[in-house]
Amino acid sequence: MNERRIHGPAIELDGVSLTLGATRILENVSFSVAAGSIHCVIGANGGGKTSLVRSMLGQMPHTGRIQIQWHDNRVVGYVPQVLDFDKTLPVTVNDFMAMACQRRPVFLGVSKSRRQEIDEVLERLGLAGKGRYKLGTLSGGERQRVLFAQALIPEPALLVLDEPMTGLDVAGHDLIERSIVEFAQAGGTVVWINHDIVQVKEIADTVTYVDREVRLQGNAREVLASGVAAGLFPSLANALPAT
Amino acid sequence: MDWFYDIPRQFLIGLADEGIIHYTFLYEFVVNGFLCAFVIGPLLGGIGTMVVVKRMAFFSQAIGNAALTGVAVGVIIGESYTAPYMSMFGFCILFGLLLNFSKNRTKMSSDTLIGVFLSISLAIGATTLLWVSARVNTHILDTVMFGSILTVNTTDMNVLLVTAVLTALVALPLYNQMLLGSLNPSLAHVRGVRVHLLEYVFVLLVTILTVACVKIVGAVLVEALLLIPAAAARNLNRSIRGFVLWSIAFSTISCLVGIYAPMRWDLPVPSGGAIILSAATIFLITMGIRMVVPRFREAAL
Repeated sequence: MNERRIHGPAIELDGVSLTLGATRILENVSFSVAAGSIHCVIGANGGGKTSLVRSMLGQMPHTGRIQIQWHDNRVVGYVPQVLDFDKTLPVTVNDFMAMACQRRPVFLGVSKSRRQEIDEVLERLGLAGKGRYKLGTLSGGERQRVLFAQALIPEPALLVLDEPMTGLDVAGHDLIERSIVEFAQAGGTVVWINHDIVQVKEIADTVTYVDREVRLQGNAREVLASGVAAGLFPSLANALPAT
Repeated sequence: MDWFYDIPRQFLIGLADEGIIHYTFLYEFVVNGFLCAFVIGPLLGGIGTMVVVKRMAFFSQAIGNAALTGVAVGVIIGESYTAPYMSMFGFCILFGLLLNFSKNRTKMSSDTLIGVFLSISLAIGATTLLWVSARVNTHILDTVMFGSILTVNTTDMNVLLVTAVLTALVALPLYNQMLLGSLNPSLAHVRGVRVHLLEYVFVLLVTILTVACVKIVGAVLVEALLLIPAAAARNLNRSIRGFVLWSIAFSTISCLVGIYAPMRWDLPVPSGGAIILSAATIFLITMGIRMVVPRFREAAL
């Protein structure tokens, strides 16, 4: 069994609501995430999942209470949905990693203190030797792996993932999934927007179904086995393996 | 500060005296122009890369136009019309901050909003300059718009030097944060970057840079020197390191050639125009290289 060396925070949301313009995005959302667990946020497109996660990150003018009970390490590793940027920009993978992880101006090169860490993380995610590649020339799946890689430096206590598996091939999918599971086993907390219901059932500890308001929540296996879940996911019965 | 400038001045004048470099370096204003080029080149070349990444090329143009209004305001309130820095800095900073504030509040795309402010600044600049044109030698307006090293004095060099030091002190430690903030603001915020504050800081930097370079490059042409060397460097590079270092090199070479060539060959071209034409030549060469050399080949669409 892995030694738990990361002190992930517990998270509690209480009556979180969000209105942008005339649109009510979230309505009285409450749930809690245990320290060192994998919590998946699921739901239909436009249901407010990304807005919920960005509220947790302090980027939305929400109401209600979001409490993150930090320990010594307060680092958040965040993987946004997509890296929407001009693909012709002269930015290599190493440049991107360096600009995210170090203070020394990136045009002076990767700092010695970060070099090894960056190389190790890239190798772990199957990107060894890609450091000098231009970010814009990578495939969508490779770029997604780079996005995930930056979230691991410096070592976070909380991973917030907004559909990190988008566009990944099977190998990339497995590598990232394994990294997430290892991170949680080491004690880190994971909040993960995920559309892959099979994966949610297999590796998530808890789950919340959000469609403006909380429609379902609790233990992942129990929630997804419920009749209500089958109603929310018409294909659920076929997609899930028999338990 | 004259003692400080006298060290390189005397060195260059000495070289010219001995016939090692061209005799035009016996003129103090040529040497002043050269010293300014060594400051402006790296400064605009370096910051230009960020301007290109942030797609703010025309912001500097808007500030250049606002500098015209700044000159007019300076004349109205009785500042020296050859160096109305207080009015130029004051008006341009207000203008830049207002533009960024409007961008944040309206969430309009940068190009649309900058286009609106560009037109406004040009209209106000043209109107106020026409209004005060009877009170000053209109030749000074050419200098402000297109630059002239003939008029560069110690005050201009001091303003440039202070601006350069300030820009380096602020921009170097914040370079990565600004870059990440423009690639993905949400990710930058999670990493502790104060995205909106840095936008204001960047706007202020570009504004004071533009004003400080007005006497050498000209209000209308500063934008080009922020943009063209960076665009040329982008043509040939795959990494940020190459992008920034080549942009600095291209910008510095353009400034030196632009100041030296009209003197050396007695060309009737203002310094600003010559600098930009040099930069444009470099850009065309890099574009040619990009079109011909196979390693730069990319998808057609």
